[in-house]
Amino acid sequence: MEHIRKRLAKCEEGIRYLCQIKEGCEWGNLSGLLAKLDELKASFYDYSEEGFSDEVSQIEEAVAFLAERCQEEISPMDRVRIVRSPLRFSLKDILENVYEDYTELGGEGEANIDPAMVVAKANILRRVKNRVFTQQVMVIGHEKGHGEEFRNGGSTKPWGNEKALRFMQVAETEGIPIHSYIFTPGAYPVEEYPGAAQQIARNLYAMAKLRVPIVSIISEGGSGGAEAIGLADFRLMFSHGYYSVISPEGAAAIEGRVGEGQKAPKELIEQCAEHLKITAQDNLDLGTIDRIVEEPPLGAKHDDFAFFKRLRFEMMRATDEVVLKTKSLRAFRAYELKLKKAGDDEALVNPDQDTNLHIDISWEMNDDEQKRLLALRAKKYRAMAAKAYLNDTTRFGEFCKKTSTRVAKVYYTVVYDILKRQQKQVEKVIKEVSGEGSSFVKRLSSPFTAAYDFIIHKPEGRSGKTPAAASRQEALALEFGDTYTSPLANEDRTVTCPNSATRGCKDLWVPDLYGEFCGVCENCGHHFPLEYQWYLNNLFDRDSIREFNAKIGASNPLNHPVLRQKLQNVKNETKRHSAIITFQARLLEVELVVAMLYSDFRNGTVGAAEGEKFVQACELAKLQRKPLLAYVHTTGGIRIQEGTMGVIQMPKCTLAVRDYVDAGGLYIVVYDNNSYAGPVASFLGCSHYQFAIRSSRIGFAGYRVIRDTTGQDIPPDYHSARNALKRGHIHGIWDRREFRRNLHQALMTMGGRNLYYR
Amino acid sequence: MHDEIDFDRILSQYPADPYEYIDILTPHAGRLVFKTSEEQPVSGPSGEWQHVPGTLLYQLERERNVKPVRSVVNGVVASLERALDGQFVEAGEKVMTLRHPLKKREIIDRILRNVLSMFLAPERAKYFFALDIQSRIDKHGQRSISIKPGDEVLTMSLMKRDTPVLYQGEPGIIHSVYFTPGATVDQDQPLIGICPEDKLPLIQKIIARVKSEWE
Amino acid sequence: MKDRVLIANRGEIAVRIMRACQDLGLDYVVVYTAADQESQHVRLAMNGAAGGQRAWRVSSYTDPNDILAVADHTGCTAIHPGYGFFSEDYRFARRVTVRDRPLTFIGPNWEVIKNLGDKINTKRVANRLGIPTIPGTDGPIYNEMEAEEIAARLLDDQQRQKIKNPSVLVKAAAGGGGMGIEEVFRIEQLRRVYRQVQSYAKRQFGDGGVLIEQCLRDYNHLEVQLVCSRHGERVHFGTRNCTIQSTGRQKRLEAAPGFDPACFDYVFDSQKVLAQIVDYSLKLADHVKYDNVGTWEWIVARDGSPYLLEVNTRIQVENDVSARISYLHGKQPSLLREQIRLALGDTMGYDQKTVEFKGASIELRLVAEDTGRGFAPWIGVIDKFSFPSQDWAAVYTHVPFDRPYTIPSEYDPNLALVLVWGDDMATAKERACQFLDATVIEGQNAHQEPIMTNIPYLRANLDRLLTF
Repeated sequence: MEHIRKRLAKCEEGIRYLCQIKEGCEWGNLSGLLAKLDELKASFYDYSEEGFSDEVSQIEEAVAFLAERCQEEISPMDRVRIVRSPLRFSLKDILENVYEDYTELGGEGEANIDPAMVVAKANILRRVKNRVFTQQVMVIGHEKGHGEEFRNGGSTKPWGNEKALRFMQVAETEGIPIHSYIFTPGAYPVEEYPGAAQQIARNLYAMAKLRVPIVSIISEGGSGGAEAIGLADFRLMFSHGYYSVISPEGAAAIEGRVGEGQKAPKELIEQCAEHLKITAQDNLDLGTIDRIVEEPPLGAKHDDFAFFKRLRFEMMRATDEVVLKTKSLRAFRAYELKLKKAGDDEALVNPDQDTNLHIDISWEMNDDEQKRLLALRAKKYRAMAAKAYLNDTTRFGEFCKKTSTRVAKVYYTVVYDILKRQQKQVEKVIKEVSGEGSSFVKRLSSPFTAAYDFIIHKPEGRSGKTPAAASRQEALALEFGDTYTSPLANEDRTVTCPNSATRGCKDLWVPDLYGEFCGVCENCGHHFPLEYQWYLNNLFDRDSIREFNAKIGASNPLNHPVLRQKLQNVKNETKRHSAIITFQARLLEVELVVAMLYSDFRNGTVGAAEGEKFVQACELAKLQRKPLLAYVHTTGGIRIQEGTMGVIQMPKCTLAVRDYVDAGGLYIVVYDNNSYAGPVASFLGCSHYQFAIRSSRIGFAGYRVIRDTTGQDIPPDYHSARNALKRGHIHGIWDRREFRRNLHQALMTMGGRNLYYR
Repeated sequence: MHDEIDFDRILSQYPADPYEYIDILTPHAGRLVFKTSEEQPVSGPSGEWQHVPGTLLYQLERERNVKPVRSVVNGVVASLERALDGQFVEAGEKVMTLRHPLKKREIIDRILRNVLSMFLAPERAKYFFALDIQSRIDKHGQRSISIKPGDEVLTMSLMKRDTPVLYQGEPGIIHSVYFTPGATVDQDQPLIGICPEDKLPLIQKIIARVKSEWE
Repeated sequence: MKDRVLIANRGEIAVRIMRACQDLGLDYVVVYTAADQESQHVRLAMNGAAGGQRAWRVSSYTDPNDILAVADHTGCTAIHPGYGFFSEDYRFARRVTVRDRPLTFIGPNWEVIKNLGDKINTKRVANRLGIPTIPGTDGPIYNEMEAEEIAARLLDDQQRQKIKNPSVLVKAAAGGGGMGIEEVFRIEQLRRVYRQVQSYAKRQFGDGGVLIEQCLRDYNHLEVQLVCSRHGERVHFGTRNCTIQSTGRQKRLEAAPGFDPACFDYVFDSQKVLAQIVDYSLKLADHVKYDNVGTWEWIVARDGSPYLLEVNTRIQVENDVSARISYLHGKQPSLLREQIRLALGDTMGYDQKTVEFKGASIELRLVAEDTGRGFAPWIGVIDKFSFPSQDWAAVYTHVPFDRPYTIPSEYDPNLALVLVWGDDMATAKERACQFLDATVIEGQNAHQEPIMTNIPYLRANLDRLLTF
């Protein structure tokens, strides 16, 4: 009788699981089945063993039938619920079943710096013929637990991600590969040190050049939290997992403009899940992952042992492939051939088969191989989302660009690498002649707000350096009037400073405020927002701006139904094609490359086009050996309608930054107005030199998201620049009126004499 | 200040009229539009950081800037100068009166004003605590600071000049502070309330009594 | 349309502007703050309430929004800023004249205020026109090494001229009114002082620019009074001497004309120097197309060399000192009346030749203060306030004669301006003494101590007038 009771329990588990997936018991008469089950349990002793077994069989059949039907018509949202089920396997199950033995590092269970992030040194077993080898790996991943509260659902706190980074570096020291398991709905959005965004950015920056193979696999890939350990040489995904820029509920709340405390309608959530293209197959098609690891129907649970066997095979195979690719293509081909011969391919079809690799591959790498590993990693990310943006450049233009880039390469190599020494000597002579070089000092001292030069206009002498040869085809000067005044100033009215109650500020007359005061309250220094054009006109030397890649435009890579029209509208309104403007400019005679995210275009959100333009800006700065400035007028994060095409910009752009900085570049980030989420948690936040304009806000998630995920209220100044400074995120707060001088000083002190600092 | 204080008399005046009447004056000139009316309840700012604004009382439009004026206390609109609605008003015009039910803390505060020894403003001027007093307050709290006659307790800022103010009166601890640093205080208005140390138990008794009797 | 003037000031100047408006037959409105409720300028406006409410309460004399709101509401067409407050605020003048409902700003046009309000710019322009200014930088300096170089040169020059105790002043470029100024005697001190002033300037004015100039000692402070119209007419009303000042550099005694050989044995030709600074002043006024009343401030060293200090683009407290030695068709003019009339667009109706100079005049500023203790302001109530009546004297005050008056602690405790004049400086001095002796001011403060005024100080200093 006991085994029948067990069968019954299994049935109940199955039904409850289906109820979870379908979010309620209405679907497929699950409630009827449950009632039947209860009835059976209640009348357990009224049946003969045989009769009861028959009844159970009937239910078993019904459950199996429903499960099959559920799998057949499985929706993206069903997958989300599968992934969130407490019955699903967790990282601890994997550590128990995939690896031979392991030791948890940086805490254990509840006694942990962050129980949502588990790190373990583990051994994985490889059988070749009859011999057994163990290989060491560093396992890093989120632990959702099976409903344990303290695991926080796998939502990692900043210090959890810091722990992950620490042990990645241990892996690097020891030269062992990293297996990274992603089970997170997203990072825990708090700013407490080291700060969600800052830590993710640091992780990405480090992983970009981590000299060991990284294989990651996604079960629940929630945006930034996932990327914190997700940058990898090989990216796998479980067949029932999801990988998304935002939770479908979050997307629905934004799209449906749902007020706080209210819930978005279920249909809208389902729709959003559909539109965001979050499934494994979608992501494989989009190229954000490399392979799918099949799970049993309706997803693997904590006791699917065959599945764990397969997972071990897949993880080893992926690691092997990464290692072999750095050795030689021939070795890699031979490996694939051998796999086939050994019949291991069968394993993909039939999981019950022996899933051992019968080939012995060492995961150690020499210096050259490590270099190749990093090069391949960079190449892999550089190519991502390549089709997810519009590029109207003609083929001829493309050709010109390529040619001029090649020419430029030669030019800059000659100038900087060959002539450098000679140039230095010339400079020395000039310096000796001019004594203290006071002519230079004078230029520095010409104040930003030209209150003094109304009658005597000092002619600004000296022409700049040789103009850049690259992308001359597309270079296009922005229109400048004689002097620029914000259009906001054209109104005879006053406004109240938000600090008037506490600081006694008088009402400000709008023409003064947006004219002479540069949008700054003269009493308390509060900065009112100004349009991005103001900065283009007032920050850089007159007529020095040459934009490039203006034609690279945002598109709708996921065919999101809402985005298409919105994009069209904003393109018409702004006469621009993306939320980023990349240009070359001069500031007090310093040539630099600038990437500027601005608010008018979809709130400065970053998608594939913006990412690509940013990467190209990094490349141009590297080629021309110029400092790179990212001025963030505003960014609202990753453009959610681009789904993982947007998310992938985080590692993609961070890799470009790392490449530029490692080549000796000086990368300065200046935040203004509002800067939040993905970009701050990656290519902006990873800069060594970050500053903010006064009255700006910087952070990972806004009020509402914090309240929804943490259940806590945050103080009104939580994201203020001052608090960002206190937390060590930024290094200084600049007055807008001093922007030009401060930026110049930052360039000089951080960049040194060559500006390209090594 | 006497040892026998007629508690009953002092306390009895509050249940009869447990309110404070607060006149609302316009901060500046402009055209006024009321946004509340007689007998309407109003509330002051709330929330953990006082970030939820109080009830909108009226709007004042000046130079095309419509400024909302909100209540800073809880209470009820006791009276309102209806005739001013829609009119141009001068700065400092009384536009309404709020009836604010006194809280326990406020009643204690008021009673203490009768009991503590008050140090009054010698001039109509702005006042600040003397630097070392201020730093001691910041460190240990005002109640830990005992002062005696001749101590330099305050700085008076008058006509752009700072003059030290020496304390005169009974020695004791600074029990209550009645001024806001930097705001103008009228002559003879109380600046600080001093409690001689031997009277502290008495004060505690009063506080305890109000707390128990007043709900 | 008939003009109506809003008087955006307080105290005696508000009263004087009211009188000038009445003389010209213009309607006016005054504003006041709660603290000035009892002031004479409010009383007078309240009393003359024939054409509706004339006095309006505002939050502050320095809140342009309240003042303009009242101006619009009362249908004013012009604003008189008086002196202080908005008188030299080019932003206010600009706003007044360019807003959707424009008003006449009674003063020079805003561009002139802006250009001449910037001392550094004034200095540059003056230098270009060959007008002498105090040796030093003509632009803000942001660099320590440059500062040191300039300071060293200035000290050397003084040494060469055999000036005793040579020194230089380090000033915050954006500052004014004596704030952020430090004196340096030895070049070794410069860097420390430079950094100190620079950080002060950065904190106070948001700009770390610093000026360095030679420190002049032993000089007289002279002023040239100009009156100009919107039609390019420019005349001067002579010079005056404002050397006697309180420790806070506030003027206490003024006299016109600027020098008198009867008072002191100057080593230079005083008439020539006076003519020279008048010429220079007119030259600069022509260049910037000055179009209202204004004062050119000069420093004249003991050896007679003049240096242009700055231009005050407003009516000054002491304007009447000059008016009392000038005659138009045999009558002493009112410069305030001229100012309003010309600002509203009138032509002058006379030229320089019409202005006749004769006699001497002295202004005494009566202030409730303790001159023995650093001119500390005195606060209290005035019970008795009376002046002798003479046909060679005039008194301007906002303190009422008929009732007690509490001096508001928010503003300077100025009580009255007394002007006396005569055929020569000796007569004027004598009359000043006579007048002061007959003046009665009584009152006491909160501690029942009697009022303190600067009358003894004024008396004692009359002899110093026009001397080095």
